[in-house]
Amino acid sequence: MNTKRILIANRGEIATRIARACRELGYKSVGIWTDFEVNAKHLEFCDEWVFLPGKNNRETYLDIQKLLKLAEDHRIDGIHPGYGFLSENGAFALACEQAGIVFIGPNPKAIKAMGDKATSKEIAKKAGVPVVPGSTQAVPTVDEAIKIAKQIGYPVLLKAVAGGGGRGMRRCDSDQDIVKNFEAVGREALASFANAELLVEKYILNPHHIEVQILADKKGNVFHFFERECSIQRRHQKIIEEAPSPFVGEDEELRKRLCDTAVILARAVGYDSAGTVEFVMGADRNFYFLEMNTRIQVEHPITEEITGVDLIVCMIQGAFGESLGIPSQEWIKRTGHAIECRICAEDPITMLPAPGKVTGFETNFPQGTRFDNCLYKGLQVTPDFDPMVGKLVTKGIIRDVALRKMRAALDGLFIEGLKTNIPLLKEILREEHFISGHYNTNYIAEYKPQEKINTDFDHQRVYQVLATIEVRRFGR
Amino acid sequence: MRTYLIDKDKNEHCIDLKKTIVHSSELVEFEFATVVDGHDTNVEHVFVRRLAGQYFVSMDNIHWKKLARQELPKVFLNVNRLYNVYRGYKPSGMDSSADSGLVTQMPGKVVKIAVKVGDQVQKGQTLLILEAMKMENEVKSNADGIVKEIFVGEGQALEQGVAMMTLEEKP
Repeated sequence: MNTKRILIANRGEIATRIARACRELGYKSVGIWTDFEVNAKHLEFCDEWVFLPGKNNRETYLDIQKLLKLAEDHRIDGIHPGYGFLSENGAFALACEQAGIVFIGPNPKAIKAMGDKATSKEIAKKAGVPVVPGSTQAVPTVDEAIKIAKQIGYPVLLKAVAGGGGRGMRRCDSDQDIVKNFEAVGREALASFANAELLVEKYILNPHHIEVQILADKKGNVFHFFERECSIQRRHQKIIEEAPSPFVGEDEELRKRLCDTAVILARAVGYDSAGTVEFVMGADRNFYFLEMNTRIQVEHPITEEITGVDLIVCMIQGAFGESLGIPSQEWIKRTGHAIECRICAEDPITMLPAPGKVTGFETNFPQGTRFDNCLYKGLQVTPDFDPMVGKLVTKGIIRDVALRKMRAALDGLFIEGLKTNIPLLKEILREEHFISGHYNTNYIAEYKPQEKINTDFDHQRVYQVLATIEVRRFGR
Repeated sequence: MRTYLIDKDKNEHCIDLKKTIVHSSELVEFEFATVVDGHDTNVEHVFVRRLAGQYFVSMDNIHWKKLARQELPKVFLNVNRLYNVYRGYKPSGMDSSADSGLVTQMPGKVVKIAVKVGDQVQKGQTLLILEAMKMENEVKSNADGIVKEIFVGEGQALEQGVAMMTLEEKP
């Protein structure tokens, strides 16, 4: 039998996650290491390790030709792009297809259609999916942007056509704001997505960011795996996600409508892999299509926890034209409540990235904690990559239990040597509005949990750390 | 043994190990104090025990907890402050010119320099844009003044703690 060989064109925790899925399926995983990340811990779980030359991301994880050459040299059957990097690059998916390699993700057409915000909005509109008012095409100039903003009314959101993950977008409250931000957002967009085109969109006040997990195969089956609430964000990037959404709550009619809408869109675009349809939901419970992420997402574990389905395994099976093993939508049930905290190397108060070296790492988790991570003592967190170093996931029969477990899990996670957002996460998990489930994307701006963090110098902890050093003089 | 913890803002904690009591081969007790103006403050006892190959610590010899195992740490993290750890000596000649606003707070790349030498700048004005972890961060002036020197160029990659420019503050 010819064992399938999967190249993991990614790094960090997601590379580890994919390698584990390959192992389960009996496929060989091939991991990549680079010059600028010699201690790539994700390789630990890969069956084979290959070297990819290059000085930076552009010359390695983003270099389509090099990756294809690597795939050819190592007799690769399929490439899993993970998230970020080339995961939503239609040209890469197409190049794989042409090279006779299975791209473990959706078809290039779907990526291209959904990757472009203007096109995706058009498709959504045509399919009868509600969309946020705004420009339907890239806005070429500042003047044009101001004109559209005046039509739909301030505040507006200036964002990259090819954007995603919260990068390349900024709120503008006036003409001057647009003038001030147009160039910077364009530059950020160019740096992150190699495309400087921008859109102008109505900014929904007190919005909820709610998304629906989709899984489809090449036979035309499209399933949804219910929703995730991702409203706890800083810098437009998620830090805490939960499933199901406490805002949708017991409203099963709304939940069904939301999830069915996502399926309609996925069908309309001919979707055939794992993906996420993101919606913004106002306080009035009206929801609008934001964008579709044509990849596996960072926060997929909480959906896996409440449905018991391994999304990465399904994604790989589906890509090779195999059955997903799901008889019908009715078989997908959700039980309990799951929550995810993103552990990031950043200042807990300013929330700015804070690279550094991990000098100590220890966990002491409650039963049933899942921690997808790439941490180890000695890990150098560099500015080359996203500051996220791990994802802490807990589950409970009800939300309160999941939160209790998360508090205990955070208390049992020790990362030394560099700043992390753990103190901020602890504060949020103990804050009354978060606990009550009444929060929206303005949560951090509104309640400023970072200001409640106790920053007093902890003498006891210094003494304890020093004591464990001193004790070694006694040969222990 | 004396240990100094000093952060980039010159916050300093001086910690003395006062006493070591070896109770048994598996249990050692230490007395620590923080020296403030020549006086011992926050005097506390820490017990260390090895259990199953790992260190556990206790303040009362009853309640124990596990610490992340570290080599001699060069830095100590206290929520949002990173202290450099100096054991046995206090470093001299630490730079004093570093005006925190004009020194890189994290490694990054200079995207754009918004001022030139001789420019009058106001407090809060953007001096340059630094890209770190794919995010653009505006570095703003923390005082009114005149740009005296610029040490960096657009596109340059910088380590943490690098001086980017100097300002002559207006009195």
